[in-house]
Amino acid sequence: MVDGPERDDETPTGETPAVEPYAPPPSPVSYEPYPPQPHASDPFAPEPEPYPAADPYPASDPYAASDPYAASDPYAASDPYAASDPYAASEYPREAYSAESGHNSDHDSDHDDGYPVEPTASAPVDPYAASAPVDPYAPDPYAASDPYAASDPYAPPAPDPYAASAPDPYAASGPDPYAASDPYAASDPYAASDPYVPPASADEPAEVMVGHADPVTDEPVTADIVPITPEAVATPEPAYEAEGEPEPYVAPEPYAASEPYVAPEPYVASDPHVASEPHVEPEPYVEPEPYVAPEPYVASEAYAPPVPDSDPEPVAAVTPFASAEPAAEQSTVESESQLEFEQAWLGVGFDTVERAAATPRERQPYVALGLQPDEYDRIQQVLGRRPTESELAMYAIMWSEHCSYKSSKVHLRQFAEKAPPSDRMLAGIGENAGVIRITDRLAVTFKVESHNHPSFVEPYQGAATGVGGIVRDILAMGARPVAVMDPLRFGAADHEDTKRVLPGVVAGIGGYGNCLGLPNIGGEIVFDECYQGNPLVNALCLGVLPVGRLQNKAAAGPGNLVVLIGAKTGRDGIGGVSVLASATFGDQSEQRRPSVQVGDPFMEKLLIEACLELYDSELVVGIQDLGGAGLTCALSETAAAAGTGMSVNLDLVPLREASMQPQEVLASESQERMLLIVTPENLPVVLSICARWGVLATAIGEVTAPEDDGGRLRIWWHNSVVVDVPPGSLADDGPVYARPMRAPLDVELMLVDRAETLPRPETGDELRATVLRMIASPNLCDKTWVTEQYDRYVLGNTVLAQPEDAGVIRIDERSGLGVALSVDGNGRYARLDPYHGAKLALAEAYRNVATTGATPVAVTDCLNFGSPEDPDVMWQFAEAVRGLADGCQELGIPVTGGNVSFYNQTGATPINPTPVVGVLGVLTDVAARVPIGFSSPGDEIFLLGETREELSGSEWAHVTHAHLGGRPPKVDLPAEQRLAGVMADGARLLSAAHDLSDGGLAQALVEACLRRGLGATVALPEDLSPFLYLFSESAGRVLVSVRPGERDALIALAAERDVPCAHIGTVGAPGTPVVVEGQFELPLDELRAAHTGTLPALFG
Amino acid sequence: MSTVIGVVTFPGSLDDRDAVRAARLSGATAVRLWHADNDLHGVDAVILPGGFSYGDYLRCGAIARFAPVMESIADAARGGMPVLGVCNGFQILCEAHLLPGALTRNQHLHFRNRDQQLRVSSTGSAWTNAFAAGQELLIPVKNGEGRYVADARTLDELEAEDRVVARYVGVNPNGSMRDIAAIRNEAGNVVGIMPHPEHAVEELTGPSVDGLGFFTSVLKHLAGAPSLQPAATA
Repeated sequence: MVDGPERDDETPTGETPAVEPYAPPPSPVSYEPYPPQPHASDPFAPEPEPYPAADPYPASDPYAASDPYAASDPYAASDPYAASDPYAASEYPREAYSAESGHNSDHDSDHDDGYPVEPTASAPVDPYAASAPVDPYAPDPYAASDPYAASDPYAPPAPDPYAASAPDPYAASGPDPYAASDPYAASDPYAASDPYVPPASADEPAEVMVGHADPVTDEPVTADIVPITPEAVATPEPAYEAEGEPEPYVAPEPYAASEPYVAPEPYVASDPHVASEPHVEPEPYVEPEPYVAPEPYVASEAYAPPVPDSDPEPVAAVTPFASAEPAAEQSTVESESQLEFEQAWLGVGFDTVERAAATPRERQPYVALGLQPDEYDRIQQVLGRRPTESELAMYAIMWSEHCSYKSSKVHLRQFAEKAPPSDRMLAGIGENAGVIRITDRLAVTFKVESHNHPSFVEPYQGAATGVGGIVRDILAMGARPVAVMDPLRFGAADHEDTKRVLPGVVAGIGGYGNCLGLPNIGGEIVFDECYQGNPLVNALCLGVLPVGRLQNKAAAGPGNLVVLIGAKTGRDGIGGVSVLASATFGDQSEQRRPSVQVGDPFMEKLLIEACLELYDSELVVGIQDLGGAGLTCALSETAAAAGTGMSVNLDLVPLREASMQPQEVLASESQERMLLIVTPENLPVVLSICARWGVLATAIGEVTAPEDDGGRLRIWWHNSVVVDVPPGSLADDGPVYARPMRAPLDVELMLVDRAETLPRPETGDELRATVLRMIASPNLCDKTWVTEQYDRYVLGNTVLAQPEDAGVIRIDERSGLGVALSVDGNGRYARLDPYHGAKLALAEAYRNVATTGATPVAVTDCLNFGSPEDPDVMWQFAEAVRGLADGCQELGIPVTGGNVSFYNQTGATPINPTPVVGVLGVLTDVAARVPIGFSSPGDEIFLLGETREELSGSEWAHVTHAHLGGRPPKVDLPAEQRLAGVMADGARLLSAAHDLSDGGLAQALVEACLRRGLGATVALPEDLSPFLYLFSESAGRVLVSVRPGERDALIALAAERDVPCAHIGTVGAPGTPVVVEGQFELPLDELRAAHTGTLPALFG
Repeated sequence: MSTVIGVVTFPGSLDDRDAVRAARLSGATAVRLWHADNDLHGVDAVILPGGFSYGDYLRCGAIARFAPVMESIADAARGGMPVLGVCNGFQILCEAHLLPGALTRNQHLHFRNRDQQLRVSSTGSAWTNAFAAGQELLIPVKNGEGRYVADARTLDELEAEDRVVARYVGVNPNGSMRDIAAIRNEAGNVVGIMPHPEHAVEELTGPSVDGLGFFTSVLKHLAGAPSLQPAATA
């Protein structure tokens, strides 16, 4: 309420007294307005930082580390960052690298990744050395060659050294005539260090530096230093005695303040900094728009509350949201002074907590952001007021399906409830990734995630950033990423759009993973029409860590600092979260267009190395990666995990675009960023380690102690609080839905439409033709065209990679310990019967891992489904989760983490339910792994497991008849376990083993022969028709080959484990054909041409 | 006193650990050198490993060639120190003009990783003297910018002076001119090779162990095997 003098035209001055503007409260970190840029006349001065006063850590120059000229920089003497140059040669003595001094692989140590531990802990870098001012009175050795010396307007005029008798005409001519009219004097950021400005107080004697070198002797001219004594200043002596009237002192023209200052051309040509850093155009200084008073509020218009268009579907909520009280009745017109008060707020330009508390009537576009009315009411209840724009954005993101798992939580609980007891699991569901201990000292972490929708919009970057995201999740657990896998699903192989999407996705995964140095050891490529508008790009990453280095994401310890490291924050991905771009108030510029997320694998590589060094040095209290929902998710999850609060100054976040608004900074999904919690004592070392790796690091806030009922997350922007929420309400207390489910009406119809009744090939020739057609079909064909674009050799520990059954990575070179990974799914089986389809996917991955000789120990899953608002889809989801949970319980291996991707739907048609399951197994000695290719002629071929007439959902039915119907193959998990036992125990007996899945025995046989180019002669058993033996897709079967001397041992082992074992043939010599006795003969060349020709013909 | 081979690490180098492992398996002592340190610490030979130094910004190897360690390596190479540049290292050597020609994008525009047959066409270098003339090797090649190009005069000169160390056999994986996979300088101590011999040193993880020959060659060379042409006078 402001009471002022009445507006009266008869006031003496005729002026309207102004309303006193609101003075914002001081923020905890002082913020100075962006100063105008008097471009320094010294072309070698460092670029002024955008928020110099707010940056308390000047030592964190991110480009010092990557500057290749640092050592040979001729300007190093004047370089204010020289003291903190991380490449000073003395930091890396040879001892750190030589084998004698404990290089990692020669000694037992926790640093299994091989990188030497830098001796930073023992030689702390003084972070304040950089801010030590350069001695302004040191002689300038470059003055003679300074091309700007003559035109430097700030240099004092040099007195004539040869006019010894003439006193300095400027020495005592009074105060600086320019000082009063210099418009930049007050805001000159260099004023404090400017050696040419005379001291403010006349009491202090000072030396005026001449500033040039004697051209003859090249020494600084010191003879002319004239000490200015207080007496000289106070009582100026006349310069000379003249006869008569001394010429009156005529003040020179005052500096015309209206003259715009024109910056001299920046001297760029030989600037050594240009080559080392990518040149970024500095943001031009944009005048803030002048305040335009808004239209006065017309009181006669009665306020009517908004009428909802239609009653939304009542959703059975299990939380108290349904009973939340609706927002209080909107008040009607207030008094004039209240309106004036509100109008004063509009000058602030962004929504703050104070403004939100004062303007409860303001309408907010929460529906456009994806929030339901009851959720909006709940937010108001939690906060006690309406949320600010930034808070609304945060709630909209965190309570969206992607972040809150609101539709899936009630079902995913089964993974925890039915989890088999496991003493190996160090971190499970809810963490960034699951961690499994494999020895006393070593643990592995793995997880699979999806990035489906971005990959349809922009295939390369969508897939690349998908890999980046899962790698950061692994990194956030404290592990070094060591391998990736990619199960991919596209539409029809010959469709035009697939030609757009597939090459881009493959190039993106290759481009990002190869540049990070991660071998790609397996995955899937599946083509099906249902994925045409919704390709599935799932990415799995495996990491290795010493058990003691396991990290967590809790922001523990009030007083600890919150540090944001990695790339700068831009407008990436904001449009993807919601319609934030169009949901803002007032008149904002058009710079709000969202931009596609673009990944920079080099930055992520530096981030990985920097984080691992931080972990090894034990400098990190908590760490969280910034993935979907960016800073919002990271801040709220870390604070909620620890139960503490946080104070964050968003001004300190390095931005790519200076015009970003706070809600954009919070919602940005810029890649390659991590959030660290560090103790204040460790901050300088953390910053120096990040600087050495060239990673931008900024402390943006601190952890605060919890208040009455929990912590508060407070975020400041431009001296105002824009966010003040309990972090738990964002991260943990999101809505939970029990969405309605209903079995699709066609489930029964499809189940009776069995593929076993379809016409099938009978004669040998027909079978031969079918085999050729099958192995050339897009799902079964050779995928080398794709897998050649991935690096499989980097890191030198890849024992098996595609097209083997599982990827095998050696963990320990000395003992041969390794892990095997396989990721599989089958959308067709899940479409027919989601419960059994999920179990079949689990069984297939389990079997693939066991076939290499490993023991399965853990599971991860990526559940790709349509829209959860569709009861059919919700039923499929619930059944699939139930099947997966039951399957894991039966097999005795837990789900350690995973991902749910909903809304994979084009219009009203969802994709086939596609639960993708990854299984990890342990191999005590990778040398004992069993590859898929037949390797020596004369080996005996056996088929383990039982074959039944099971063609429904098979690849044969899909390729030959485009048919999907019937019941998927029977899944018998105890039989799979027995089979896995035979494979593990018999690994040393077997020379090859290949599991049977899509395409049945024919596919497995052809792949095993083509792998090393050996033929085979096979005689199928008589109990089923040859067609069924070749193309039935019964589960629980493996094709193996043993050396002749070992066959009895294998038969005995299989009998002991109650696994059916049938001898079916013999491996042939190199180049001999594949013979199915009594049916057909297929030369290897013909097989190879059919198998390898499909993808190059489609994609070039 | 075993030979000491230094392996340089630039920001973004990926195969440095494999080069260290390969050097160790061949019997040498491997030492890791940091790109910003211009002291070679008395190593007897240097390997510039593969990877994506500086993210392949600007051009592959264009920024790494200005690293402080490269000045020392160039001086040492002029003095006869054996230097092997593998993949990205080959690109850096060409950018630093220690070898002629350049490496450009693969002709088919894809990253390609395959096990490639090579033929050793010159054993007169510090890194291939352990092979027989014309020996065929199976070495993985994996790159997106591995197409060797040079003008016809340079290519003729290389072939005339027996400076092509290895060529691709069978299908050329990246479109390199005249199927050139590896070249050497006149003195024979600096070799650049596009495929990765350090990935073919163990039966368990590589397609063969043919890559070990490169590393044992340099040990032979440093032990005094008379394998090189007389060094050109500076």
